Amino acid sequence: MINDASVLFQIAGIGIIVALIHTILKQMGKEEIAQFATLVGFIIVLVIVINGLSDLFQQIRSVFLFQG
Amino acid sequence: MKWIGALLFIGTTTIVGFDVSNKLTKRPKHIRQLKNALQILEAEILYSQSPLKDAFTTITKQVPEPTKSFFGELSNRMNEKNANLYHVWDEAIKELMQNSSLGNNEQEILLQFGRTLGQHDFTQQQKHIQLTVNHLDRELAEARDQQYRYSKMAKTLGVLSGLFIVLLLI
Repeated sequence: MINDASVLFQIAGIGIIVALIHTILKQMGKEEIAQFATLVGFIIVLVIVINGLSDLFQQIRSVFLFQG
Repeated sequence: MKWIGALLFIGTTTIVGFDVSNKLTKRPKHIRQLKNALQILEAEILYSQSPLKDAFTTITKQVPEPTKSFFGELSNRMNEKNANLYHVWDEAIKELMQNSSLGNNEQEILLQFGRTLGQHDFTQQQKHIQLTVNHLDRELAEARDQQYRYSKMAKTLGVLSGLFIVLLLI
């Protein structure tokens, strides 16, 4: 449970910082790099979330199907 | 322990960001110094009509680092026996590139200028110096533009990327 909360904060922090990087790069006229940075941030968050989801499904499988 | 590592990491990326920004800020300054030095060289050649070695010594007295050590090196190496100005100039430029924040364009301009130095009469030489000063002016404008745009961005990006990676690793 404590782990879950820390993952939430981590994702929130990554979101805030990627948003800041995007804003600064956009201000300086580097639109493509700004888009790219946002994309990278999104993919990283996606990987974290998918890890959590796969854990969840493993738990469900082990509860209902009695196998690892 | 984890937090000490995180702080150290953020500190490192911040310093890298500041270093990049510092380099961007110093480039226009160094280009301006070079322009000044070339103007002094022109005056030495046209009005004092001194040989290049003496001209370099005079320039060394009048400009700040790192251009100072460049011309100092030049006049020192020209004192050696059978020194070839072209090779001496090439090697001194290589050293100058390591000591200063000048870019590749400036290096190319200076190398081209070195090929013309001491080969022509007064008018031709003056024309070549004017041409080099013009090239440097163009580079100066570009360097100023880049400094204005990117020096702040480099600082902020340094801090932010440090924070980002620390958040990933925690």
